[in-house]
Amino acid sequence: MADAPRPIDVDADYTPSTYKDAGLVASLRGRIAELADDIGRPVKLMHICGTHEHEIGRYALRDLLPPSVTVLAGPGCPVCVCDNEYINMAIQLLLLPDVIVTSFGDMLAVPGSIPLEGERRGDVRMSLLDARARGGDVRAVYSVFESRRIAEANPDKQVVFFSVGFETTVVAVAAMLKRGAPDNLSIIEANYYTPPASKLLPTLDGFDIEGFILPGHAVTITGLRVYEPLAELGIACASGGFEPVDVMASVVSLLEQVRDGAPAVTNPYQRLVKYDGNEKAKQETDEVFELAPIRWRGIAEIPASGYKLRPAYQRYSAARRFAGQLDPIALQGAEHPKGCRCAEVTLGQIRPDECGVFGKLCTPDSPYGPCMVSHEGTCRAWFVYGMHKEKLHVEAA
Amino acid sequence: MSKPPEGAVAGDRPADAAGPEDPMRTRAASRYDHVRLSHGSGGKLTLELIEDLFVAVFSNEPLRELTDAAILENPGGRIAFATDSHTVKPAFFPGGDIGRLAVAGTINDLAVMGATPLYMTSAFLLEEGYPMDDLERIVRSMRATADEAGVKIVAGDTKVLERGHGDGVFINTTGIGFLADDVQMGVAHVRPGDLVLVNGTLGDHGIAVMSRREGLDLAVDLESDVAPLNGLIEAVRLVAPNVRFMRDVTRGGLAAVANEVVHRQTFGLRVFDVAVPIDDVVDQYSEMLGIDPLLAANEGKVMIIVPPEEAEAALGAMKAHPLGREAAIIGDIVRKPEGIALVETAYGSHRVLEMPIEEQLPRIC
Repeated sequence: MADAPRPIDVDADYTPSTYKDAGLVASLRGRIAELADDIGRPVKLMHICGTHEHEIGRYALRDLLPPSVTVLAGPGCPVCVCDNEYINMAIQLLLLPDVIVTSFGDMLAVPGSIPLEGERRGDVRMSLLDARARGGDVRAVYSVFESRRIAEANPDKQVVFFSVGFETTVVAVAAMLKRGAPDNLSIIEANYYTPPASKLLPTLDGFDIEGFILPGHAVTITGLRVYEPLAELGIACASGGFEPVDVMASVVSLLEQVRDGAPAVTNPYQRLVKYDGNEKAKQETDEVFELAPIRWRGIAEIPASGYKLRPAYQRYSAARRFAGQLDPIALQGAEHPKGCRCAEVTLGQIRPDECGVFGKLCTPDSPYGPCMVSHEGTCRAWFVYGMHKEKLHVEAA
Repeated sequence: MSKPPEGAVAGDRPADAAGPEDPMRTRAASRYDHVRLSHGSGGKLTLELIEDLFVAVFSNEPLRELTDAAILENPGGRIAFATDSHTVKPAFFPGGDIGRLAVAGTINDLAVMGATPLYMTSAFLLEEGYPMDDLERIVRSMRATADEAGVKIVAGDTKVLERGHGDGVFINTTGIGFLADDVQMGVAHVRPGDLVLVNGTLGDHGIAVMSRREGLDLAVDLESDVAPLNGLIEAVRLVAPNVRFMRDVTRGGLAAVANEVVHRQTFGLRVFDVAVPIDDVVDQYSEMLGIDPLLAANEGKVMIIVPPEEAEAALGAMKAHPLGREAAIIGDIVRKPEGIALVETAYGSHRVLEMPIEEQLPRIC
């Protein structure tokens, strides 16, 4: 088992299946075990992307790690950190006459903070789906361009795109607005920029994470330079792709940095990630959006971590367009329903199954908190892949 | 009636003003371009629709009598009886349509119980204004599928919903099959050590239909697997008389069926990830859309659990059938963990095979 890992040669003729290759995974697993032995003490690592948690669950990759190496899930789910304010705003807009709200499917079932009347399960709040049941016209879309088509097809209605996501999804929104959008289209500005949040984590009490697997999709856009300050704080960083080989290779790189006491920013996901990211995407995004403070649900308001429209594009801001019609009181509210510990789960402070409502009051078919709603949510991944259960010991006949 | 019904669409022409008859077109379809409310009112147009479309296409003795109920021969044995209502968007998709789906679905429900399906009814709920050509295509497809399975469509019903109160076309089919007294299958017969087989690639229907949904419109070179499976199932049962359990794999995919099998049982079901046949196109698109093919819908797949000594014969019989060429042994019944369906990954690690919760939708990023 102690074979040295075969180095990944980026020039070789690899296919997508290479990154699922069982032989490669086995050799990386051996390498991780060796490094864990060399280090000789427990090490906690964290990824900050919901897709990583999903893939770790799908391939049961935690089964392959030695007991001393823990990989936790951090704030990597855009739907989970989207503040109540935006969900409540979408619901209020949806209940106005002649307004169509378009949204990614993941966002539809997330409760905001407007109480759901007549619900007896506990402190249950209204989601866009609940608002739809009350007559609102909300449509699930796959991209902002589909929202534009809906706006073009409904010139007598106002179409609002619930623009939630991280630095990847905002690129498409910027590209669309820059090329011209119909006058009846506006957006709810709920795009989050993640590097400031990852820099906030080390300042929290009890923080003991020694390395971050950087979010592969996001760093494709932002590049790696923005994470150098984390390395300077003593935290190892490695870009992370999403196939089993990618995830294991990132863990190897982080453990090497920990063993050597030399935190840096490495790039195991070099087949897609460039050190400076995607310049064109960054430039277009920067033309349309500027960074401003934004509230991360249940966490804090973090400076320069939200994408807001620049003055030249503010005519597309739903918050401005409908300012007179939004009830400011309903835009506020408690962060999470009572008993929901999504905030601690999101920060990696507790495991999902340490939350009292997990799997009981809160399940994927009747979610209580956002982390159970979204496919990117940690609680949902834990529930559907059974990560909260005892390790599955198989006894064949 | 003071104004023309909403269903009357420009181009609808009365009676015999139609041009030269298309020999492939039934008279009903050539007379009105679109379904009218009166086609479901029980009057003249209803009778025309029944005689000129349904009876003409389904064409069999019990139906032609147009009695209130079909009178059928009873070949003896126990009766298997199943019903299913169908709605699919879009109604025509690569590899099939709602008609084929409606017939195959009910036939498969009967066949997996060990029954030989023989008769079926079809009830249509049509939305006013539905294109008559589309209806005819659906009806012809139903006949073709029924013929493939050796089943007769012997009774039916048609109702028309006002425009805006339906979604084009809904079809309910109810089927009757007969099964011999010695057929004994069910979860209670499943034992640790039994092997789990499927008759081919999983997820084709789900991904094919999703690719044609509004907003995706992916140019996917993929067809739905929708097909009646009674022939294949009969071939398997001939060589594997002790089949423990069969279930058609439909909505919810393999995951739903596997979870049904283990629910509250004292055994588990293990699926070997690498053994599951997945079409390359399905693999690629499910990856892109963030969908697990094990949870995606199928309409021509069956999961069969057999004792280990009959597995090779069952697999051989499947592979020899046109609907089973890519059949595979994909898993086994294990002693532990109890009551859980799980996946053994290519890396030897294990995860729970989730019970599907909702319709599979593409993820956000």
